[in-house]
Amino acid sequence: MTDNNVKFNDGGYRPFSDETIRRFLLGGLSASEQPLFEQRLITDDGLDARVRLAEFELADDYAFERLSTPDRRLFEQTFLLASNRQHQLRVSKALRDRFSFTAATSSEDHTVTPRWRDLFGLSRPARRIAFGVLILLLVFGTAWLVIREPRIVRQIANRLNPRRSPQRSTPREVHHPTNQSSPEHLTTPSPMPEHDQTASSPVAVTVALTPAASPKAREMPAVNLPKGDQGVVRLQLAKPVQTGPYRAELLTIEGSWIFSADSLKVDDSRAEIDFDVPARSLKSGNYHVRLSRVDGGSKRSVASYYFRVQ
Amino acid sequence: MSPAKKLHVLEQDEFDQLLGWLDPDPHRAGLTYEKIRRRLISILASRGCTCAEELTDEIIDRVARRVVDIRDEYVGDKAVYFLGVMNNVHHEYLKRPTMLRPPEPVDDGEAKEKTHQCLERCLATLTNNSRQMIERYYAADKQAKIDLRKRIAKEFGISPNTLRLRALRIREKLQACIEQCLQMEVL
Repeated sequence: MTDNNVKFNDGGYRPFSDETIRRFLLGGLSASEQPLFEQRLITDDGLDARVRLAEFELADDYAFERLSTPDRRLFEQTFLLASNRQHQLRVSKALRDRFSFTAATSSEDHTVTPRWRDLFGLSRPARRIAFGVLILLLVFGTAWLVIREPRIVRQIANRLNPRRSPQRSTPREVHHPTNQSSPEHLTTPSPMPEHDQTASSPVAVTVALTPAASPKAREMPAVNLPKGDQGVVRLQLAKPVQTGPYRAELLTIEGSWIFSADSLKVDDSRAEIDFDVPARSLKSGNYHVRLSRVDGGSKRSVASYYFRVQ
Repeated sequence: MSPAKKLHVLEQDEFDQLLGWLDPDPHRAGLTYEKIRRRLISILASRGCTCAEELTDEIIDRVARRVVDIRDEYVGDKAVYFLGVMNNVHHEYLKRPTMLRPPEPVDDGEAKEKTHQCLERCLATLTNNSRQMIERYYAADKQAKIDLRKRIAKEFGISPNTLRLRALRIREKLQACIEQCLQMEVL
């Protein structure tokens, strides 16, 4: 499909630019532009279709905070004067909530590789070969260094070790369920679980949660957020009686929806469900995690968990 | 009730005459009516009218009452006639005392959650290709938006502009689906 197939027919007139359409929606056309635009809009299906799509784009840009401050003000003062646009904005906000976390986690999968490829010009065969040769040289050079000059290697290793040690001691907050009976895993070194090795987003804090009937029923585990808003908070939900797959929803204690994840499964080795929440969506306060089981299209709540962010 | 609403309540036969004038085929007449209504609201909102919907209803009322007089003589695009009436109504609106904008509905947690649930349902109705496209299109944050969309367009083998139009059309479908879903929830 070429671009021509998706261009709108503006009825033979000189088409208005996307920027002009945007200014119309924000009430920013000049006194001479406005009547001309209105005349065309009322009769021209092509322009109307473009205006409709521009409405969605503008609502999305507002929800995703891509508008400048003056445009945000115009959006609130002019664009939202039509009630259907308030519905558009509600859907834009839902799309933002749905995909903003995906952006943090999955965009790396799609973007990092091409970025590196572009950086090194690997799309060209000659550069690809040169890059391969360079890697081989580095590998052989390192091997030669290790075999022939072990003293230098030891010196490098000694210099690096003190720098690494603070990273190892990064606190990792874990609240294990009280009914866990086998503490061997705490003392016996074991290989890292598979999900930790493959996770694309850094887990900054981990907290184990057990089901509770109400927020007052037991003391809520506390979470200390990492500095900055990067990373995820991993909520390890103790396995409920009902089988999955599950949907987990993060709500404020007042019941406002914040974040959700679908198709969650139990990690059988720990009898827990990992629910990763972007750290930036959390602030100080009490939170409710509602775990549901999707059964034949209907959703059944199976457990609630509570925690507080300090 | 606003001054716009006080003026006249459209009778069914007047409305039928209006639709008949717009198009002899009732289905097409309905579509034309909706199209003109939506465009009038858009224009009035662009002019900064705080009650664009109500003024549009008033415009339609006035046109409907004049249809008997003009239907045999009027030549040209009927939508243009609405535009002329709109200018009169807007002129009168500007002379009226300032009408306060109704308070915006509070986006409570329940409504928000229902919208999210409907979004999930509607995403599930999309084809794999459309879902993948929309997920990646919206995954771009504001800094990476342009770069990422160029890359997505390249991967789909289309230009960035075609990607934008396709994604927005899927967005349009999602909007319609979600509104329908929310109405079902209310019922």
